[in-house]
Amino acid sequence: MIEKVKDLPVLEVNDLQIAYGSKVVLQQVTFSVHPATCLVVMGPSGCGKSTLLKALIGLIRPAQGSIKYSDAELWGTKDSIDPSLLARFGVLFQGAALWSSMSIFENIALPLETFSSLSEQEIREVVRYKLSLVGLHGTEDLYPSELSGGMQKRAGLARALALDPQILFLDEPSAGLDPVNSRQLDELIIELKETLGVTFLVVSHELESIFSIADEALFLSPKEKGVLQYGQPRNWLAESPYSEIRNFLRRNEGCPTFQQ
Amino acid sequence: MSHRTKSLRITQEGEVVHCILSGDWINEHSSSAARQSWREFWRNSTNSPQTCFFSMDSGLSWDSSLLVFFFDVTGELSRKGVCADLSRIPPKVKKLLDFIDQRRGDSLSQPSYPEAKAIASGSGEKLFLSNIFTYWGRWLQALANFLIGRSFMRPRDLLNICRDCGASALPIVTLISFLTGLTMAFVGSVQLEKFNASIYIADLVSLAMVREMGGLMVGIVMAGRTGASFAAELGSMKIREEIDSLRTFGIPAVDFLVLPRTLALFLMTPLLTLYADVIGILGGLTVGTQVMDFSSIHYWEQTESALTNMWEVYSGLIKSIAFGLIVGLVGCYKGLHTGSDSAALGKSVTSSVVISITLIVVCDAFFEVAFSFLGYR
Repeated sequence: MIEKVKDLPVLEVNDLQIAYGSKVVLQQVTFSVHPATCLVVMGPSGCGKSTLLKALIGLIRPAQGSIKYSDAELWGTKDSIDPSLLARFGVLFQGAALWSSMSIFENIALPLETFSSLSEQEIREVVRYKLSLVGLHGTEDLYPSELSGGMQKRAGLARALALDPQILFLDEPSAGLDPVNSRQLDELIIELKETLGVTFLVVSHELESIFSIADEALFLSPKEKGVLQYGQPRNWLAESPYSEIRNFLRRNEGCPTFQQ
Repeated sequence: MSHRTKSLRITQEGEVVHCILSGDWINEHSSSAARQSWREFWRNSTNSPQTCFFSMDSGLSWDSSLLVFFFDVTGELSRKGVCADLSRIPPKVKKLLDFIDQRRGDSLSQPSYPEAKAIASGSGEKLFLSNIFTYWGRWLQALANFLIGRSFMRPRDLLNICRDCGASALPIVTLISFLTGLTMAFVGSVQLEKFNASIYIADLVSLAMVREMGGLMVGIVMAGRTGASFAAELGSMKIREEIDSLRTFGIPAVDFLVLPRTLALFLMTPLLTLYADVIGILGGLTVGTQVMDFSSIHYWEQTESALTNMWEVYSGLIKSIAFGLIVGLVGCYKGLHTGSDSAALGKSVTSSVVISITLIVVCDAFFEVAFSFLGYR
């Protein structure tokens, strides 16, 4: 069961700078995510959303700044991240990234076999439960290549949920899902947030889903190479001081539209 | 329906230029004549024009080639500091040009990347050598973890890979080593007959097979067959973020993916080599009995006497273990360090095969030199 600590942020990012070689792609990123909330990261393509995500889950070492999970620093003084922190978060990659040589059951069971002391029977039950959570019961014995893109995505979510992480990172979860499943995914996020107190950080483009799931939002801008606006997105459409954000939410850039 | 060729009429009145387009501006026709007259006009123009008016003949049909023309000449005019007046061309064309112009402004307005003060160690281009040593160190660490029973490797994976690179390779190894033995016997028989020493063909084939050719042929087959498949498999896992997702669960890719593959080759190459040795000798026997008319018993006894010292066989097996490790490590390294697109995957696979074969031959030479210096030959 996830511990509820209302005051302390689950994730705290301070003055983060990320660089590929000597090229800075993101700078001065500061935000925090509180328990049982959902932070949506949005912005036009190429603004560094996925890069930010990779830094938060320890795949890229930031050039400077700090990333803190509750009380523990992700990148300490050592050259590698603390493996005990890895169990605190789950990740759904953009392309689901299921291990293609394993069946769906094995994909979800592997982290359980590796990091928990559950018996084989218990693992089977947990896997079945996680799969039903995402509406994929009965697909245990199939291989990732036998599932559609949207189903792979949901299986990836089930795998990310396997170890009951405190915080879930979802990289464009609704891309490739049909409207109904996309809607159900949003409901699942809200449900998990409210009942189990799971915290979410979602990278998304889907405007409709952003407004239904987001408690807070972060808008990254490729021009600023960093955060343009951070806060509650409800009124951004009408009241954001930045035309870039209003245009993004209104789906145009103010340029002449292409007409016949 | 016949089309009229594209043409331009350009006239100048003081600082004002009039450019009238006529003909059909469609892709099927070359616009080089029109371009030529455009260039000539600007080369010969005097008293520096300030404005250029464009207009089109009525009834002119056009497609994207007209847009290409306008896109090109308006860019050229703005560089010259001449104002292009497009108010007399069809509004549709004008709108599309404005749209393109806007996008061009967008991409220009993007600032360049600022310089990082501290270069992140994990994201910069690491030195090639440090990459290799890190990989090698991780592999040794994974091996140590395996030996003390704390590995992430799944035994099932090891067995599956053993089957794929061992038993499944038997047909190709059979064919290659049989033909190698056969060819050596043919080549050798011609020379040995000159000295009336044909029976020594058994010695030649058996010694060459167990010392050199068995291990070498298996190594090369493994490099082309198994090493390439490792590189391709791990490379595509890398591209599809499967390796990243292993890392987020704290499962090291070297433990989980590289170790079972290298261990499988470590176990399977000597076995395949032993098998190749036997098949190669059978190839020699075939020539000996069918072409050179020895009895099989006679040939076999001669082979036995050539191989009285079992070290000949063992030395070949030791070398083959090294070849197996080379193929496994190079294939997996190339897979894990592949770029992020499909072309990079192809390059990784190619270079894994090339590097493996090169290293196998270098390593083979190294072993032979070492053996003869140490007095084992």
